[in-house]
Amino acid sequence: MGVSETVNETAQDVAPLPDYSEDGVDLTLIRWTLSLTPEERLRFLEERINEILAIRELNATK
Amino acid sequence: MQQSSLFATLRILCKNDIQFIVVGGLAAVLNGAPIQTYDIDLVYSRDQANLDRLLNFLQEIDAIFRLQPEMRLRPAASHLAGAGHLNLLTRYGPVDLLGAIGDNLGYSDLLPRSDEMEIGEGIRVRVLKLETLISIKEQLASDKDLAALPILRQTLRLAMTKPD
Repeated sequence: MGVSETVNETAQDVAPLPDYSEDGVDLTLIRWTLSLTPEERLRFLEERINEILAIRELNATK
Repeated sequence: MQQSSLFATLRILCKNDIQFIVVGGLAAVLNGAPIQTYDIDLVYSRDQANLDRLLNFLQEIDAIFRLQPEMRLRPAASHLAGAGHLNLLTRYGPVDLLGAIGDNLGYSDLLPRSDEMEIGEGIRVRVLKLETLISIKEQLASDKDLAALPILRQTLRLAMTKPD
């Protein structure tokens, strides 16, 4: 195997993954959520819901 | 302040030995889909013993129907016996109890189409597989279901290629 072939293969190996699918879905977000455990996914969702509810409540009283 | 506790709801369900499968948006999240949802959708076993335990659980978490919360109508055993959907509000947030989903698929039909997942503190719950969730949403084909499909399909595609 020549040097140029090795360089080409390495370049392909590290080619960046696409950020978005053809139908516009953010693949970086999916890769991140897939890196979490189900417990972490549940805790993250719960925290986000409670943050949103708190913000809504804060603004509802103004 | 209003607080949601998805974890507490699931923990109490398990503590009471209730047979259920997490479906809907929460099943999508537990399977790794980056979507937002506010309620817990559950398909439950309609065996009499399970219905009794479920009714006790609903009393424990102060469940009332969401439709007219000011009337504080509580679900009864007769409501749970059918294949319908009960949209409830509880001390821990909204919970939807579903006798069956999709093409009249009940608990025993969905059991082989679910996975057991650890959600912390040693608690394990059954969660609908992403493939089945996608197929049910494709059948239902409401605007809401269709809107979620691209994210669910891409999540399934990436999950299948993810090295484990």
